[in-house]
Amino acid sequence: MASVAEMYDVGWEEMRDKLRKWREDNCRNSEQIVDVGEELISEHASKLGDDIWIIYEQVMIAALDCSRDDLALTCLQELRKQFPDSHRVKRLTGMRLEALERYDEANKHYDAILQDDPTNTAARKRKISILKAQGKSTEAIRELNEYLEQFVGDQEAWHELSELYINEHDYGKAAFCLEELMMINPHNHLYCEQYAEVKYTQGGLENLELSRKYFAQALRLNNRNMRALFGLYMSASHIAASPKVSAKVKKDNMKYAAWAATQINRAYKLAGRGTKENKCSMKTVEEMLESMQITMS
Amino acid sequence: MGEVELSCRAYVKMYLHACLFPRCSINGLLLSSSPTGGTVCVTDCVPLLHSHLPLAPITQLALTQVDVWCSQTQQRIVGYYQANACVSDNSPTPCALKIADKIAEQFDNAVLLMLDGSKMSPDYRVPPIVMYERKDSRWILKDKHTIMLRQWEETRAIASQMIESGDHTLLVDFDSHLDDITKDWTNQKLNTKIEELASPANGNI
Repeated sequence: MASVAEMYDVGWEEMRDKLRKWREDNCRNSEQIVDVGEELISEHASKLGDDIWIIYEQVMIAALDCSRDDLALTCLQELRKQFPDSHRVKRLTGMRLEALERYDEANKHYDAILQDDPTNTAARKRKISILKAQGKSTEAIRELNEYLEQFVGDQEAWHELSELYINEHDYGKAAFCLEELMMINPHNHLYCEQYAEVKYTQGGLENLELSRKYFAQALRLNNRNMRALFGLYMSASHIAASPKVSAKVKKDNMKYAAWAATQINRAYKLAGRGTKENKCSMKTVEEMLESMQITMS
Repeated sequence: MGEVELSCRAYVKMYLHACLFPRCSINGLLLSSSPTGGTVCVTDCVPLLHSHLPLAPITQLALTQVDVWCSQTQQRIVGYYQANACVSDNSPTPCALKIADKIAEQFDNAVLLMLDGSKMSPDYRVPPIVMYERKDSRWILKDKHTIMLRQWEETRAIASQMIESGDHTLLVDFDSHLDDITKDWTNQKLNTKIEELASPANGNI
């Protein structure tokens, strides 16, 4: 089988840099990380210098994600040798136990870390992940709420909590989490758009109007967000069709919907230039927009 | 209740969808190009989402678009499939029931299909699926003997082969389409590949 270096015609430095980029972007492309990382470690370990330790950690986690316990253990053993008393490595040991579904043992490891260092956020998050893996959503939500009382600025935790609430259909609380995220990170178009989706799902005129506003805000932050564009179209159309709104509100929303429809059509026309398959989506969207117009007016 | 037949194309794409996003809950729609009455023949599927399944706007959008596409191509939506992120839990979620209910409003013999993640490894010889049908406004487990997959061994082999060669990365679900609208959620290219692998000219797999 061809090596990664052969297949992509790259040298070890490029492989190392790619791994760094994936670390910085927090990508979960575990299969790729395993392919590149395994080769880098086995053939170029001596050239990596001190980088090798963080690469061992990255590859180990990716290996767990791909059920490659052999590779994970190799990496873990190297890390244990180099950093025998490290909490960070202890957490990795715990993660391997989680991957093997030995949750009680994993919890013991994390509890030991927390005995030593009660502020260790990584261990707390792993314990919450175990609850999630076991399907114990209510407990996971409770623990995560407690965690966030202490660590109020932790975006990752707020986002995780919003996902848990969405899966429990508790849209009000999910919206609250997304509001916190938007406060911490007002320029993130994804949070605006997700908030708008939650509001839309909650339903009712007030929530629909809020959802339209936040879809619009998401578009202001990123005018290529197709979900926001479609969301704007749908929320505005639904408001315009509601019997409870004034003539002015109806007129305004029909204008917003019409604008969104034009943008959608334009985007699909641009995308449709080229392959025959894309023309199919374009036609579908055109027809859909037309049919929704008929029902809305 | 009635018999349901699952085509190779529908099964393989569902399977590839689940394998493409092993860490997420995924869902999609089951389609039929056969006329109604008698056995429900699921001839195709459209993979929909791999994130935020319970949220309404994108699901509504996808349902509308697939509906329009179906009327353009003489197909109809006859069912819904889902695979949960948590491998040990293959029961239909409230959102699965809701969407399946909506489909049942338009098609009496609608089916709800759950993929059983724990049975998807290569050494399992039976289809990793659990099907439900609607009776008295409730979704009940369907008798296994009313579910047919013609040429199951061949279908299973095609699915495994495509995973091996990385073809599952070619699959486009509606979520991915919204990330890049040049991608085709009807998956014509993948359909062609499946056809090629299934064609008798290919000999034994």
